[in-house]
Amino acid sequence: MRRLLQIGAVASVTAVLAVVLAWRYGETLLPFAVTSAAPDPQDGKVAGGVYTNAYFDLSYPLPRGFGEGLAGPDPSDSGYYVLGNFVPQAAPSGTILVTAQDTFFAGPHRDVAVAAKEFRESISQVEGMSIDREPAEMTIGNRLAWRIDFSGVGLYRAMVSAEMRCHLVSITFTAPDPQARETLASSLNHVSLAAGRDPPVCIRNYAAGDQLIRKVAPTDMAPSPMPIPARIIIGSDGAVRHVHVIRATEGQRKTIEQALRQWTFKPHTVNGRAVEVETGLALRSGGAITSID
Amino acid sequence: MAKRTFAYACSLTSLTAILVASVALPSLAPAQGRGPTDPGVRGGAAGAGNPITGLTAEEGAFFNAAKDVFEETETVADGLGPRFNLDSCVGCHAQPSSGGSSPPVNPQVAVATAQGAKNTVPAFITANGPVREVRFVRNPDGSPDGGVHALFVTTGRSDAPGCNITQPNFAAAVAANNAVFRIPTPTFGLGLVEAVTDTALQASMAANSQQKRALGISGRFNRNGNDGTITRFGWKAQNKSLLIFSGEAYNVEMGVTNELFPQEREENTGCATNALPESPTPVVPNDLAATSPAAGFQSDAVLFAAFMRLLAPPTPAGATPAVAAAAAPSSTSTSSTSTVVASASSVLPAAAGTTSTAATSSSTSATTSTVARGQQVFTNIGCSACHTRSLTSGKSSTAALTNVTFQPYSDFAVHDMGDGLADGVSQGAAGGREFRTAPLWGVGQRIFFMHDGRTKDLNVAIAQHASRGSEANQVVQNYNALAATDRQAVLNFLRSL
Repeated sequence: MRRLLQIGAVASVTAVLAVVLAWRYGETLLPFAVTSAAPDPQDGKVAGGVYTNAYFDLSYPLPRGFGEGLAGPDPSDSGYYVLGNFVPQAAPSGTILVTAQDTFFAGPHRDVAVAAKEFRESISQVEGMSIDREPAEMTIGNRLAWRIDFSGVGLYRAMVSAEMRCHLVSITFTAPDPQARETLASSLNHVSLAAGRDPPVCIRNYAAGDQLIRKVAPTDMAPSPMPIPARIIIGSDGAVRHVHVIRATEGQRKTIEQALRQWTFKPHTVNGRAVEVETGLALRSGGAITSID
Repeated sequence: MAKRTFAYACSLTSLTAILVASVALPSLAPAQGRGPTDPGVRGGAAGAGNPITGLTAEEGAFFNAAKDVFEETETVADGLGPRFNLDSCVGCHAQPSSGGSSPPVNPQVAVATAQGAKNTVPAFITANGPVREVRFVRNPDGSPDGGVHALFVTTGRSDAPGCNITQPNFAAAVAANNAVFRIPTPTFGLGLVEAVTDTALQASMAANSQQKRALGISGRFNRNGNDGTITRFGWKAQNKSLLIFSGEAYNVEMGVTNELFPQEREENTGCATNALPESPTPVVPNDLAATSPAAGFQSDAVLFAAFMRLLAPPTPAGATPAVAAAAAPSSTSTSSTSTVVASASSVLPAAAGTTSTAATSSSTSATTSTVARGQQVFTNIGCSACHTRSLTSGKSSTAALTNVTFQPYSDFAVHDMGDGLADGVSQGAAGGREFRTAPLWGVGQRIFFMHDGRTKDLNVAIAQHASRGSEANQVVQNYNALAATDRQAVLNFLRSL
């Protein structure tokens, strides 16, 4: 009995200590967090008629009868993703395209409102295109989003965009008539953006600043005329705990991942608490970081 | 000069996958009624083949001399072989005129046995099929290959005594799904393309980035590994310049060594008997000097490049050929911008609803208005996000190429075209699924489409843009969702170019 009490006491102290450390330094100090595999933006899937994306904590029940269409391309050099292409499995009634643009790699940062207005200006210049609904605020999953409707040559489209983890996530509906467009767009009422845990704080160009303590250049990296984009998640202890090489050959990807996992940073704090940071960087041969501004 | 067969390859497996996907996904099926019909190759006079307007007398003479060389047939004494795909540039680049793409009758069938040769014609080369080059995806040990394996050998030719080499086993390569094909790209207007600055290409790419965002399109430029600048010629935009393009094709397609590619690809001593390079720069003017004194001192590769550089862009049906291009032949640039090709909205299209036999003349069934509508639809559904209509050249040492706005209908970027078009060949930054946006100017008078010439039907060509992993999937879905009349208008518009 005494032995059991001792074990229980040790366990309790350990648990309290773990909670305190986790609060102070973030959860990455905990062994299970260190070894956990973090999802990447392209890792969404459809099951039971619901599209889920763990990276964005997004859950989207598709309209009835919709399923996966042809998969899109691999992520681009500029961090653009086709996350999903959803089509009706029976009679044609429209399509749904879900995309994401990594805002770290898309020029100077603009918020979603500005992006929506820029899109409106651009699309209005397309020959034969009409703006059916000016950009307007809405919410999807309790998150601010902007919607714009436009049409031309018998296709009625709506695009809804929201910012998530420094990505501009867009859902574009294309339908044969305005009513069908509205029906498709109403499916967003069922989107949930789970609050399982706070995502890392995303900070632009964090790796290019004074926060970088230790840098290891990729070895034997095949020359690339273009910078290779990557995202990293830095734990609250300053160690790199996840690397996502967005677009590269397999050989480049391997050596970059090996190198970046050895980088260390000063811990980033918010209100005195160490937190995880997610940032993007563009690598050239030899490991030089190219500014992504 | 050799044909520049641009091969593209597609496996039967890939084709099957596309067909299955098309059937399995109702949203990709045409929205209503019978599908539209490719009007077929636009008849009438060739809308291409002349020099660009505004050349000086000396430049015009240079073009004429270069054209003569482009149309020459090479012999073994000239450097042909020991391995080759054809014996002239114009044999491949023939439709609708010198400098174009694959002609209706494939000259590779005849050249296989010319001059006493005993070559076997591979099954993928047919009399009425496209001119093709073949690449092997992998080496026997499984490592990446991607190189061109010439179809024919000079063995048995009367001008190659003592040569005794054999053709590769193409049947085995095809059976192993290891052979991919490319057809010749048209070369009209390429001087203008060469004269576009990288900045202008990047600006053009950025200009419609918002539209691309709603279509699932990204794309990127292929770049030269040495200087980092944008490469823009070839099916994967793998070639930096027209000169490199010429020199490489001369060696790879015809086996003629030159100062850009001075080694034989086949060094069998019984076959490779000429001094190298076989096409050097003459230090004593040759007979071309009678046409152009400058041409008399140029190597063939330089002249091939000059011919392509000075070729006018294709003229759309009904448009005035090559208007107003830098009329003043001054070497100084002008601040104004010229326009080389009239708008396609003013053209008379080919016959809608006819079969696609070559050279059927245009009818009046498709009107100017349907072409204009087709252009609008083409833009609206997103085709023009990649097949960008206009570019403007920069300051060129050839005045006629300076500050000219032209309509190639390409962004000259490479895009992921998915598994259905993938050839598994990487060139520069372009991977196995990536291809340059094919310029659509002159498509109205082309016979074969896609990198491997897999179809003569534009409607099929559009469908082939969609497959797993393709950036074009949403645009093809948009096309399929159109009314039949609008899909027909798109085809009519394309055949007007």
